[in-house]
Amino acid sequence: MPTPIVMPRLGMTMTEGTVVEWPHEVGATVEQGEPVLIIESDKSEIEVEASATGKLAHIYVEPADVVPCGTLLGVLLAEDETDFDADVFQADWVVEIDEGEGSDAPAPAPAPALVRTAAASFPRTGDRVPVTPRARARARELDVDPTGIPGSGPGGRIKEADVDAWVRSRAACVEVAPGISLEVPTVGSGDPVLLLPGFGTDISAFAAQTPALAESFLVRGVNPRGIGVSDAPEAERYDIATLASDAATLIKNPAHIVATSLGTAVAIELALTQPDKVRSLSLLAPLVDVGPRLDSVSRAWCEVAALGDIGALSRSLLPWFFGTATLADDVRRERIARGLPATLSRARADALPRTRAGLVAWAGSRTDELSRLTKPTLVVVAEEDLLTPNGAAIAAAIPDARLVSVPGAGHAVGLEAPEAVNEAILAHLASS
Amino acid sequence: MARTISMVEAINDALHIAMETDPDVIVLGEDIAGGGGRTDDGIEDAWGGIFGATRGLIGKFGTDRVLDTPISEMGFMGTAVGAAATGLRPVAELMFMDFLGVALDPLLNQASKLKYMFGGKARVPLTVRTSMGAGRRAAAQHSQTLYNITTAIPGLKTVIPSTPGDAKGLLLAAIRDDNPVIFCEPKSLMRSTGEVPEGDYEIPLGEAVVRRTGENVTLVGMGRTVLTALEAAEQLAGEGVAAEVLDLRTLQPLDEEAILSSLRKTGHLVVIDEATPRCGIASDVAALCVDRGFDFLDAPVKKVTAPHTPVPFSPALEDTFLPTTERIVDAVREMG
Repeated sequence: MPTPIVMPRLGMTMTEGTVVEWPHEVGATVEQGEPVLIIESDKSEIEVEASATGKLAHIYVEPADVVPCGTLLGVLLAEDETDFDADVFQADWVVEIDEGEGSDAPAPAPAPALVRTAAASFPRTGDRVPVTPRARARARELDVDPTGIPGSGPGGRIKEADVDAWVRSRAACVEVAPGISLEVPTVGSGDPVLLLPGFGTDISAFAAQTPALAESFLVRGVNPRGIGVSDAPEAERYDIATLASDAATLIKNPAHIVATSLGTAVAIELALTQPDKVRSLSLLAPLVDVGPRLDSVSRAWCEVAALGDIGALSRSLLPWFFGTATLADDVRRERIARGLPATLSRARADALPRTRAGLVAWAGSRTDELSRLTKPTLVVVAEEDLLTPNGAAIAAAIPDARLVSVPGAGHAVGLEAPEAVNEAILAHLASS
Repeated sequence: MARTISMVEAINDALHIAMETDPDVIVLGEDIAGGGGRTDDGIEDAWGGIFGATRGLIGKFGTDRVLDTPISEMGFMGTAVGAAATGLRPVAELMFMDFLGVALDPLLNQASKLKYMFGGKARVPLTVRTSMGAGRRAAAQHSQTLYNITTAIPGLKTVIPSTPGDAKGLLLAAIRDDNPVIFCEPKSLMRSTGEVPEGDYEIPLGEAVVRRTGENVTLVGMGRTVLTALEAAEQLAGEGVAAEVLDLRTLQPLDEEAILSSLRKTGHLVVIDEATPRCGIASDVAALCVDRGFDFLDAPVKKVTAPHTPVPFSPALEDTFLPTTERIVDAVREMG
């Protein structure tokens, strides 16, 4: 099998790198572990070692070129491989992207603001979108519609850097259905782990889990329909079955699924309908139903988000996300809460009701089928979780599920109690 | 070789060189010989104008070329324009730019018009040196920044240096220019020091200069506000914002390409002007950016100027009247 040489992602902040030198000529044999490529990132040169012994068959990117992480740079072939078409391999590269080591897809870089005061946020529904002349000119040049992308300027004004970030992020999206591409930031290497975030949040909801998981796994976060730069197709609702099918498309080799809240509905649906795709389940604050509190809070969430005041939305959700001890501790609450607006602003307000409708339609449909789940399952429940309080019952209904109960934490248990959650997930993945 | 001297010493140096190299250069104005003091051989030369810019000239070049005039701005300005039109190259000193009102007609209706009205056959190689600007506790009638008035008159050039080295080179270029030039001397910078090259050199009129390079925002200043902009740039650097500081140096002709080229790079522009905001240089630069640099703009152009009031006498109020580094930094933050 051809061994791809890609621009590695060395840390969460690296988005691109420069090809400095190919020490070998095309046709030369490179031993496994020998430097096959020298790149530069953040002003330091790094040797990229060959992950397999083989002949340097093709170089796609020449020295001095700057490319996003995950870009296919070259290919090594085993001696006996002759049936290789460099153009076809490159064209298929997105498909090959989750095939193990070295195949990190580029993650979107945050839009660099002149002075960052707020996260880039989607424009309010129905508002005239403020786009700077420079951003409009850039959008014309790149042939994209600048309206509707997240703006990082004052009041959500869309600036040139936002257009660039959008185009860069969109280029890294993976198609999961005809015309539907999702943003799938990837980090680390090893066995695949798929992150499925909760309602109205992107994978930054797993910010406290990602670094720990990336030490041993290839972590791929899925920003579902309507989140981040993922497509948000017009629809009455985004069914849980559709979201599960989107996730399944991203999985080639069975993956460990780590999900929270609404993401657990997707995970359960996925495990029931396509068990071959699932190696294990880690369900944080899981749900199979929509209780009256979740129903009411998610409805208000949609309405406040439509007003476009992410700060107000963030403050309104704090008591639903965190435990009383956290809420009472000014320093701790502020530290945790600081990142919340950025996470919430990644959801398109117009798409939230579609996701909510899909969840409500799904609610209760799988309650009686939990016993059919055969994959190793971890259930993490937060003792002060007001929104999804039935985690223990879910754990009890899943055969051999491991239950970890985190005291003093609320619904956003992964953010609030990362040590306990990470320990439980890592132990679960190690034994699965 | 260069010496570190003050702006007023640099101006004095330029006047000496201009008079040495061209016998047609004369200097006239109120008190330019200075306060009635006399040297041992009876020559008035004690001080050399209120700032000492003309010190040593009368002793060296004599009373034929250095004319200490009566207190009539209209009188000596008319004399200077006439002298220029008839072949001399006068340098008139208007002690404070605030007195422009009583010296305006020779500039507005004669000096600026003659070349055009006589089909280019007449020329008025006049330089008017004048001190301007607030910050010296000189109150409303001796602190104004009025270069926007002279810039608005077609046929006049207007120059404002921000460093001693520029003051010397720009003044020599102004004196040798065949058009009337208003040379503004920022009062608050007269004692500021800097490296000044020895000898005779000119800095061309109409060329702005980048004082500090940066990628994120352009700060356009002139005279004193260049220094304020440089301080703000330093502060912004601490916040991770690389500010470029552009010193206009000449307000008419305006180096439009330098402004647009920097804006093209940074996408963000703040213009800092210590004049009042209406009908001023800041508005002019902002209009240029919108007109010819629209597609470069990644944020609204910000103006940091004095408020639309006379200069206050209260020191506390005068300090808030002038553009400050804080206001520049705030303007950059507002651009997001």
